[in-house]
Amino acid sequence: MVEKIIKINNLVKVYGVEVKNEVLHGLDLEINKGEFMSIIGPSGSGKSTLLNILGTLDNATSGQIIINDEDISYFNEKKLALFRNKNIGFVFQFHHLLPEFSSAENVMMPYWINNGIADDSLKERAYELLKLVELEGFEEKIITKLSGGQKQRVAIARALMNKPAILMADEPTGNLDSETTERVYELLRNINAELNTTFIIVTHDRHIAARSDRVIEMIDGYIERDIYTHQEREEKEWQEFAPSYCFLCEDEDKKEIK
Amino acid sequence: MWFEIKVAWRFLKSGKTQSFLILLGIIIGVSVQTFLGSLIGGLQQDLLDQTVGTSPHITIMSEDQTPRPLQIKNEKMVRLITFSDKDEGINRWQEIENNVRGIKEITAISPTINGSGFALRGQKNLAIVIRGVNIEQADQIYYINNRILEGNYDIGGNKILIGSKLAEELELKVGDSLKINSAAGISDRFIVNGIFNLGSADLNKSWIFMSLNRASTFLDLKDKVSNIELQVNDVFQAEELASLISKENTNIKAESWQENNQQLLTALQSQSSSSIVIQVFVIIAVTLGIASVLAVSVVQKSRQIGILKAMGATNRSVALVFLLQGAFLGIIGSIIGSFSGIGLSQLFVSLVRDEAGNPLFPVQVDPLFIIISITVATIAGMFAALIPARNSAHLSPMEVISNG
Repeated sequence: MVEKIIKINNLVKVYGVEVKNEVLHGLDLEINKGEFMSIIGPSGSGKSTLLNILGTLDNATSGQIIINDEDISYFNEKKLALFRNKNIGFVFQFHHLLPEFSSAENVMMPYWINNGIADDSLKERAYELLKLVELEGFEEKIITKLSGGQKQRVAIARALMNKPAILMADEPTGNLDSETTERVYELLRNINAELNTTFIIVTHDRHIAARSDRVIEMIDGYIERDIYTHQEREEKEWQEFAPSYCFLCEDEDKKEIK
Repeated sequence: MWFEIKVAWRFLKSGKTQSFLILLGIIIGVSVQTFLGSLIGGLQQDLLDQTVGTSPHITIMSEDQTPRPLQIKNEKMVRLITFSDKDEGINRWQEIENNVRGIKEITAISPTINGSGFALRGQKNLAIVIRGVNIEQADQIYYINNRILEGNYDIGGNKILIGSKLAEELELKVGDSLKINSAAGISDRFIVNGIFNLGSADLNKSWIFMSLNRASTFLDLKDKVSNIELQVNDVFQAEELASLISKENTNIKAESWQENNQQLLTALQSQSSSSIVIQVFVIIAVTLGIASVLAVSVVQKSRQIGILKAMGATNRSVALVFLLQGAFLGIIGSIIGSFSGIGLSQLFVSLVRDEAGNPLFPVQVDPLFIIISITVATIAGMFAALIPARNSAHLSPMEVISNG
């Protein structure tokens, strides 16, 4: 039997105190260890909310969340921060690197946070990770000197620093051109294969969705579809049942950024 | 802690203009503080030196003798005892002198005979104050030897020392003889062996020094002295020591300089408190400056804070980053500020001088004061960072991440 890394039971999220707005309506979901999973859905469907709750960045209003066999529903702020640091790596749409630090320092940051020290003891690992994301020679560069794709790859290296069991990405390629998107995807897939890291990716990009092991489609706060794809499946086949918003939203997002 | 220090330091370094401006603010604040503190401290010390530097700090007298303070024109306060009854005086003064010598805080002891008389020369007849002393002992209080203009300070036999003003008015030179009548009507001739300038017109006009023995016979005091004058190490201990001496010896009382210089003490105190008020306001201004800069910084760095939290930095940890920024600003600003304050005082001393080229204002740099300034500025910096730190702790990583 495949090991479950995340289990959620009857997960509800309500925003607002006076005007209540329920965005997730009692979700149940189990995610296997080492799975490469995409979450798709139109804007406002609750996919980012789900990801943030799974990543412990946001609290659920009710329901049970078990990650790595630990029920995090009752963790306090400090415990959650430590748990997040050790178990979860994040990659966001807008790289979210610290512009005050160099590439290698940004990669070491999760280690520094966890250990309370800011020495270079794990510099070697940071360099290795940067090599993994094909950024050899950029280690000591200040973040602001890097291109968009390079920044995103530094962010991926950073997410891997503490050897997390789960890597969560919210639109990791939403801000990149198609060629760079392809390279980032390859990278994520390689890491998934080599380190057996579980990937949960919120995306509008049908190419990435098509090549995931599993695709969850969210609509209006419900899980509408939960599909196990196969890597061999041709992209064409996927396109047949790819929701139309995958094409539309992709373009809309690009417009917004400009 | 190292992680927070590194991040705090990097944040300060990345906002160069901002950090520089607030640092400049702290530097100016602290240097003004240091400068004012040094100046006021120096002025107080100078005032004290002028008042009690060359006069007795404690005067021992017989119990029934009343001292009379005398205001002298150049604003120095000098105590002067006049006798109405020459029978008053201290018996067995050698014994008291010995007792007092045992107190280690006492730096100078001078048994003194005081009396009034008249100096007569030609048609002129001037009132004078006769002071019989052992010149070596009196020198420790009045520094007579250093203040002799002509002749020397030997007062053996019939030799006396007179003030420059008296010499001028009576047209006396070293070697001249001078007739003096005591208040009791005894008349004698003395030889001027030295002319002094004690820095006060009044003393230069009225005081004459003669030997203790000579004064004793001239004023017919038998084996008594009028006072024993003392100086002590720390002038502010005088009062305490005076009451100790009064308690331990019978038939005498000891009075400290403070008792007759309440005005001066009040002036010193109000100076000190005005200096404290200035410093408090400087600190408040510095604190507000740091607080506002850090408040802006929290907003500017909210993205970074969110990212750090998303990666597992605790609320305490990010709050500490801002507290440390406040502390760094405080420490660096106040250290540079202290040094530039000292530099400013030295510059002031070298620029503001009288005709003779002596500094007009004495400046005293107190290391303790500097240490206190630095500590206070650092604490103020951290205090100023409290609210920004709290705000940063309350920031949710969600807000930043979802907004890009």
